[in-house]
Amino acid sequence: MKRTSHRRIMTACLYLWVCTWLLPMAAAAQEAGEWRLSGIVTGEDGTPLPGVSVALKGTPRGAATDESGRYTLSVPPQAGVLVFKFIGMLPQEVPFSSAGTQNITLRSSEKALNEVVVVGYGTMKKSSLTASVSKLENVKLDQVPVGRVESALTGRIAGVNVAQTSSAPGAPPVIRIRGAGSIDASNDPLVVIDGFPGAGLGSVSMNDIASIEVLKDASSAAIYGSRAAGGVIIVTTKKGRTGKPSLSVNSFAGISSPMVHKDWITGQEFYDYAVRYQNRELAWAGGDVTIPVWGDNRRLAQYQVSPVLLNGVNNVWQDAVTQNAPFQNYNMSVSGGTENVKYYVSGTVKSEKGTIKTTGFNQYGIRANLDVKVNKVVSAGLMVNPIYSTRRLAPTSTVSLAKYPSFVPTKNEDGTYPRARDLWGAVVTSQANPMAILDGTQITQQAFSNIGELFVALQFTPDLSFRSSFAGNRNINLLNENVLSYNKTFGKHHDLNAIAGASFQRNTYRNAYMGVLPGSFENDIIKTLNNGIIDPNSTGSTKSAWGLMSYFARVNYAYKSKYLIAASVRADGSSRFGPDNQWGYFPSASAAWRVSEEDFLKGSALLSNLKLRASYGVTGNFNIGDFSWQGGISSTVYSPNNQLGKGKAQTSLENRALSWEKTRSYDFGIDIGLFRNRVNITADYYDKRTNDLLYSVAVPAISGFTGSISNIGDIGNKGFEIEVNSQNLTGRFSWQTAFNFSMNRNKVLNMGVDKEKLFEDQYGMSWLLRVGEPMFSYYGYKAVGVITSNEVLNSGIPLYPGSKLGNPIYEDMNKDGNIDARDRVILGNYQPKAIIGMVNDFSYKNFDLSIAVQANLGATVYNYENQYYQGALVGAMRRDLVKNQWWSEQEPGDGRTPAAALSTLNFQGRSDLYLENGSYFAVRNVNLGYNFPESISRRLRMSQLRMYCSVANLLMVTDKGYHGYNPEGYNGPYPGYNDGTEPINRVVTFGLNVQF
Amino acid sequence: MKPIRTYIAACMMAAVFGQGCKSDLLDLSPESFLTNSNFPQTAADIDQMTIGIYSRLQSRKPGDYLVMEVPSDNLFMSSNQSIAGSFELDGLTPEPGNPLLNNFWISTYNGIFRANSVLGEIDRPADYRAGQKDQFTGEAKFLRALFYFDLVRVFGDVPKVTSVLGIEASRNTRKSPAAEIYQLIVDDLTDAAAKLPLQSGIARGRASKAAAIALLAKVQVYRKDWAAAQAALDQFATMQGYDLADNFADLWKLTGEDNPEAIFSLKYIDGSNGHGLSTAFIPNAGAAGIVNRGDEVALPSWSLIKLYDDADKRKAATVTLDYTAASAGAPTIFYPYISKYAIPHTFNASGLDLPVIRYADVVLLKAEVAFHRNQPAVALAALNEIRERAFGDATHNYTAADIASEITFYDKLLLERQLEFAYENERWFDLTRTGRFTQLIREERNYNNVTQTAVTVTLRPQAFMKVFPIPQVQIGQAAPGVLEQTQGYY
Repeated sequence: MKRTSHRRIMTACLYLWVCTWLLPMAAAAQEAGEWRLSGIVTGEDGTPLPGVSVALKGTPRGAATDESGRYTLSVPPQAGVLVFKFIGMLPQEVPFSSAGTQNITLRSSEKALNEVVVVGYGTMKKSSLTASVSKLENVKLDQVPVGRVESALTGRIAGVNVAQTSSAPGAPPVIRIRGAGSIDASNDPLVVIDGFPGAGLGSVSMNDIASIEVLKDASSAAIYGSRAAGGVIIVTTKKGRTGKPSLSVNSFAGISSPMVHKDWITGQEFYDYAVRYQNRELAWAGGDVTIPVWGDNRRLAQYQVSPVLLNGVNNVWQDAVTQNAPFQNYNMSVSGGTENVKYYVSGTVKSEKGTIKTTGFNQYGIRANLDVKVNKVVSAGLMVNPIYSTRRLAPTSTVSLAKYPSFVPTKNEDGTYPRARDLWGAVVTSQANPMAILDGTQITQQAFSNIGELFVALQFTPDLSFRSSFAGNRNINLLNENVLSYNKTFGKHHDLNAIAGASFQRNTYRNAYMGVLPGSFENDIIKTLNNGIIDPNSTGSTKSAWGLMSYFARVNYAYKSKYLIAASVRADGSSRFGPDNQWGYFPSASAAWRVSEEDFLKGSALLSNLKLRASYGVTGNFNIGDFSWQGGISSTVYSPNNQLGKGKAQTSLENRALSWEKTRSYDFGIDIGLFRNRVNITADYYDKRTNDLLYSVAVPAISGFTGSISNIGDIGNKGFEIEVNSQNLTGRFSWQTAFNFSMNRNKVLNMGVDKEKLFEDQYGMSWLLRVGEPMFSYYGYKAVGVITSNEVLNSGIPLYPGSKLGNPIYEDMNKDGNIDARDRVILGNYQPKAIIGMVNDFSYKNFDLSIAVQANLGATVYNYENQYYQGALVGAMRRDLVKNQWWSEQEPGDGRTPAAALSTLNFQGRSDLYLENGSYFAVRNVNLGYNFPESISRRLRMSQLRMYCSVANLLMVTDKGYHGYNPEGYNGPYPGYNDGTEPINRVVTFGLNVQF
Repeated sequence: MKPIRTYIAACMMAAVFGQGCKSDLLDLSPESFLTNSNFPQTAADIDQMTIGIYSRLQSRKPGDYLVMEVPSDNLFMSSNQSIAGSFELDGLTPEPGNPLLNNFWISTYNGIFRANSVLGEIDRPADYRAGQKDQFTGEAKFLRALFYFDLVRVFGDVPKVTSVLGIEASRNTRKSPAAEIYQLIVDDLTDAAAKLPLQSGIARGRASKAAAIALLAKVQVYRKDWAAAQAALDQFATMQGYDLADNFADLWKLTGEDNPEAIFSLKYIDGSNGHGLSTAFIPNAGAAGIVNRGDEVALPSWSLIKLYDDADKRKAATVTLDYTAASAGAPTIFYPYISKYAIPHTFNASGLDLPVIRYADVVLLKAEVAFHRNQPAVALAALNEIRERAFGDATHNYTAADIASEITFYDKLLLERQLEFAYENERWFDLTRTGRFTQLIREERNYNNVTQTAVTVTLRPQAFMKVFPIPQVQIGQAAPGVLEQTQGYY
């Protein structure tokens, strides 16, 4: 018997593999003494349905209907239930108690089309949408072991780029929806949690989330007006449902391991490169490199190399400061309700140790959602979500920990921390021991948020309702929203849906920071401020506020559910803008045509859904400082008579006309459903133009200022994105694929009087804003070789003034025989050219497997981090970064890699030498789960028992020439500037999901 | 139906107008900082704005050496640090994109803006005590003059800004000839000298009458207006309480900060309001008893060190040849470093005052003016006054024969100024104002005391490098064609 079923599975699999879903599944051989069940399965219109799966519930036994929709199945002679499943149809369970014939009619599920999507101030059927909205349901997202909600979205939605720029525990990723349109104002999307705009995704637990909708185009986002230019992310939390109470526990725990570099050099190899480095310095200074490197005073101390480098301590500091760190997440929720009262209550505890030692993130949160129907007219609800988190941060970037020289031990036996210069007085870094920095600096951030909302809804008539809500976050962000909704079908064919509302929000916030003077703790046991001396420079508090007054309305109209139009308008008044321009108006309009509802397509077997969409809308950006339009006066210090005194100086210019940044965008989209919506394709083309850019215009310094925040300039983003969802295989072995692809082209369209603006880093690389080019393009010299010998140096080829042996040769772009600032060119851009994501879900019997991959193509990284590992100050060195360098005329390297000394940093920094390809392919998540069969879970009185194993960042493949840890990581002052971010982490977790 | 309609109307009214008190939401004022709509109002506010001008100078001053001293032959950039633009100035290859020049321009004009703001708002308060308004006016003018003096020496012709400019006006302001800038400086200092109180009437670290007069004398020397310089020096002679300190080394100690030589110094407090100059020149591994790690931005050139006579007490107070790192048991090695500002201090936050003009300068200005006014004996006496203090006796005094011609006089004078004011940002300007910078073609840098040789670099100073280029960034931000680049630079 066992062998038979095994063979049967094999047969079925093979069959599936060869024939995919178009052919019926293998029928089981009939056995004697069983009941024979048969019948014909038809659709609602009476047409027979071939290929419908028919299974005996609770067993692997099953069959499929033939060409004429007929099924036959033999079952053990006892009462049971048959389950009929077919794509695009609602599954149906039919009990039987004897052999015989039963004809079945399956009803169309139209699941994909009837899916409800949350939009601003309401919900809508997906089929009625005229805008570009992506929805992500929390099916298994709460089993992805990530610290923040955003990270679970990585690679899952077209047009939404989630970049994990820092791997520090609890660090929020950077989200860009359809590219960045702003230079000086924030490009972050607006986050709306259960109707509360302006919340942070850090203040909600993935376990509590039911779905996440992303409003990508302006016509859907415009209802949020002045804050929606970066797109809108709407989070809907789980609500209670009528029915018996259920208790659910989701817990997982695992280990994060940093994905680190393996080419560190130590011992003799390290010593040899240190000698090369010092000899090169000596040769540049005109010294004699044949003098012994140690113990001969003819060689100045700064050019010597201590034999302490060969002391046998081969300490790779990267490994000394990182660790495999535990990761835990526990969530319990109870939900249920009656007809009139529904509840959902949950608690989450999360604890994450960082892979950089001493860092970590803990979060404790509770959520309660309560909905009450008071009577036919009045209903009310309450939501509270207190959440407390603590983060301990590394006091410095990873590079400044990992760059420490390898001959220094992590710790002395007596518990003290040795420093490099305790072992070798001069030349080496004077920095403290990295472990001492980690252990001895305590930077913690504590945050408490408590979003609470209370609403009252009135259903005046079946068509007309009103909802008024009051919300607050820790009493400092107060929101009152009032929305009147009207829903009515006129005649047979006219559907009208309208809302009108008003919203008032006032945010007041205080920031307090405290610090003690370094070394002032009286002992190492008590680490609170009362045990130290308060440092006046790191202690203080500030207070700020903004207010927003808004009125909005939206109308949706559908004729015969075929022709859809929508329009909305919002008026926003904000305290953040100058008195001359406080009010902004944000209209939108959109239309869609459901071609598949037309007679000529209706009932098409191939094309089950076809919708064409077009939209236009205006959104705004108010992400600037609260009082930026005002001329701010700041405090300054000076000490006449040696007494610290405060002075005042104006530090920003007043701009009474400061106003919204407006983004006008067009979106053209198409939704296609094939094979009864088994394959769904959504494609969009968009064209966004951000006008009146909030931008710190450079002003001549003779004004006393260097910049003034103004509305000037335009940025354009055009792009294409496509999402394909396909159910490749159904039945016992099922396979679904969700694929997305997006590309965005960013361009500076207008820069006002500036024409272009250059942001110059102190080490020479520049970031350029120039009309016609993408924002923040790298701008510098093109290195074309190395001055490998004196012949080259004296050959008369154009060289940068002050060049010496080993320095790079730059290309003389303007061919004037000199290398100067006019030879700089655009060298690349930090923005990816294309982003691809794919999630494959497989299930077989009780097993399921989900694999999410992502690829990011065409971004360039300014990997300045490399310079730390190239030998400077005889710090940690990486073989890949030292082996090809120019060391001397005898060891000229590969002819492309110049000498990389601290004193020549500008030569590398201002050229393309540190620019590296940031393209990557990553397996972001693999989740393998097993649902225990009902027979087991029922015995345990559970309705569901599931075990799973999840791996985040299983694989990260980068370009061979890329040297950083994380191709998305940057921490420098300009985009794409990597000055030493953390390694990304591979997280392996095991989880248990129980439902009662 | 009717009650419902009323209900709806009531709800909407409540919704739209209940909350919507516009002033609560839209007319907010910052609670954590002041704005130009509510500041300044009182004399105390103007006092704070005046402190704000000093603050700008105080924060710029410690880094001035990168622009004003590094081009000279007194020091060279260490390979330990990489400050963008510094190697170019060290190697005399200044170019318009140099970030140090741009930063210097930005902070200096910001200081001028702050001075202009005080002068523009000076009439607003009505609660001045007697003399207060004159004092603030004098301080603002003194500081504005000082800022322009720095600008004109570094860049030559620069835009003349004497009031708060709007953005449009600042885009369209052309350069004024250096002579016009000098005239503004003279006018400001003359007015400041008239309005400022004596040192006894004002806090140390703020400008006094004597400071304005001394600076005026120096400016007149730069203008080569010897008669006017003499007039200023004569006026200075009436100021009480200024003299050379007995011991040169005492000038560079916390305890000796308020010495009789300090005509105008910027005040600093260790830790809370300190500067980085005491750390900047200390070798990387720190120096025993000074600070436990250094920045080692630059090291002293052998070109300077070799000029010091061993008997010259200024040598040990300016450079240290034998170096002991801060770590316990570190050996003492030959590793010369600049130690003029090396006092025990908090890393990058030293409390040592930085002199802007000191009495020794007045003495050497007196020598220069006297020489030009045909009073060689007075000139010789002034020169020897400095040498006697340096050597402790008259044995190293010059004779009249030593300064027989203008060339030999300037040889001695510039040497004395180099030795006396090393690392006080005088050397490069002394070379440019006398035209001698074009002779700066060899600089001896690192010295090896075993082989007794120094690394020598060859420099190629060009006549146009008398002033540095106008920062390219600033040319780009002015309206097209308004700000022209200095001759010689592209």
